[in-house]
Amino acid sequence: MLADLFNNLGGNLAMGSAQAAGAIVLCAIVVAACRRFAVHMEREAAVSIARGLVQMVLVGIVLALLLHGSLLVGAVILLLMTVAAALTAARRARGIDGSTLRSFWAIAVGSGVAIAAMLATGTLSTSVTVLVPVGSMIIANAMNACAQAAERFRADVTASVGQVEAGLSLGASPAATVAPYVQSAVYASMLPRLDMLKSLGLVWIPGVMAGMMVSGANPVYAGIYQFVIVAMILTASGISGLLMTLLMRASAFSPSAQLTLRPGPRAC
Amino acid sequence: MSESTLLQNASLGDRSAGPGETGRPAPADRTPEVPTLETRALSRAVAGKVLVDRISVQIPPGEVLAVVGHSGAGKSSFLRLLNRLDEPTGGTVLLHGRDYHGIAPRELRRRVGMVMQTACLFAGTVATNVTFGPRQRGESISTDQVAALLDRVGLPGYQDRDVTHLSGGEAQRVSLARTLANAPEGLLLDEPTSALDEASARGIEDLLLGIIQERRMTCVIVTHNRQQAARIAGRTMVLEAGRLVTIGPTKEVLYAG
Repeated sequence: MLADLFNNLGGNLAMGSAQAAGAIVLCAIVVAACRRFAVHMEREAAVSIARGLVQMVLVGIVLALLLHGSLLVGAVILLLMTVAAALTAARRARGIDGSTLRSFWAIAVGSGVAIAAMLATGTLSTSVTVLVPVGSMIIANAMNACAQAAERFRADVTASVGQVEAGLSLGASPAATVAPYVQSAVYASMLPRLDMLKSLGLVWIPGVMAGMMVSGANPVYAGIYQFVIVAMILTASGISGLLMTLLMRASAFSPSAQLTLRPGPRAC
Repeated sequence: MSESTLLQNASLGDRSAGPGETGRPAPADRTPEVPTLETRALSRAVAGKVLVDRISVQIPPGEVLAVVGHSGAGKSSFLRLLNRLDEPTGGTVLLHGRDYHGIAPRELRRRVGMVMQTACLFAGTVATNVTFGPRQRGESISTDQVAALLDRVGLPGYQDRDVTHLSGGEAQRVSLARTLANAPEGLLLDEPTSALDEASARGIEDLLLGIIQERRMTCVIVTHNRQQAARIAGRTMVLEAGRLVTIGPTKEVLYAG
């Protein structure tokens, strides 16, 4: 099967490599431009680009191998993707106990609900070649929402330790003292997905719709199907962002209602 | 909160002079009472560093106790243990003779109020801040009661002002009114004037002194200003490296030798 894969690749390998090289050069130019403004992300960008390229090649190989896999195989792949997403998102929740596990549950529940709903309604095929790419889009967005919620909540709370403790000192519950930061974190995690939905068809035509049209599907149905996927992405992101924020809130205080999520120096 | 309690607290200027109003509250001639606050070998260590080291002290009703010491001596760390904003790693605190580990933290903090170094007001109006504490318990206080509290802290008619437009001194007065709206039994003051200019600081100090005397409040004030301690506190304790070095009448402690 692998031999077939590489035999069919033919001249595409050279063309793909050239295209990838061109994309990397453009990314490098952007990183260099950022450096001029003292925004240093050279290492992170290099690692991200290298990882992205290697991961996508590997995914292509794995999908080719699993082309005829069962629903169970697809589920296992999505589970592994969720674990990887949790490890990535947890980096944005530093200072929180069990951030990886909390990220995992937030992403798993959010994307799980969306994928299960799509499978149950027949919107999503159980075929690995459909389930895994669409599922991965949903998991990736849930991961981003989770990371954005975690980062925003942590930043807001650690910048407002004085106000949180002023509230605690007045007899407020931990939940009441961080309520504004929960709202802003959940909203911040949803905003990119809301913008995505708003701009659907106006600013961008997503890949699924384009692919369906290229393969001969009715353009109207392709558009509706794409809307459903983006709406499910919003659903998954909303659940993941909200759940992650609530899990972070729970771990930001001790059982005696003392704020444990704090930076070094105290601030208002 | 009952209306009578708040009105009583808000109109304390009408109360007749008590024994504590001649200067510093001095409960020495009273029969022994259960201390409002008592610490027993109170300690806190973080990552192996001792911040508060086995401090035992009794604070009787109506007493104002100043906590002085150099930066890093553990003054604020000690204060934060009194309303359990931080958890002791050893010892405990008694509130009216009851171990505070047996009191729900929210109830404890309502009963032992705290005014911090900076006001840290919540976004919104002055009235929103003043009514915050009672609202947390599902209680409400009337607009008249809010007005009376603001009158008492020298901010008449400030109810509807946005807190972003307040000066540092005004914000600290709102912070005090916000704490008093909870009708606390004890008051913890963490360098309440150190972030203010001299005139504002003196105004807040006079206000605090007046309210403490009127209410005969049990009060612990952390200050790096020894003159302020002398003006406000009947007793003073000196901390060094988290340990209680000395405690006694303020003049004896501050001006001995």
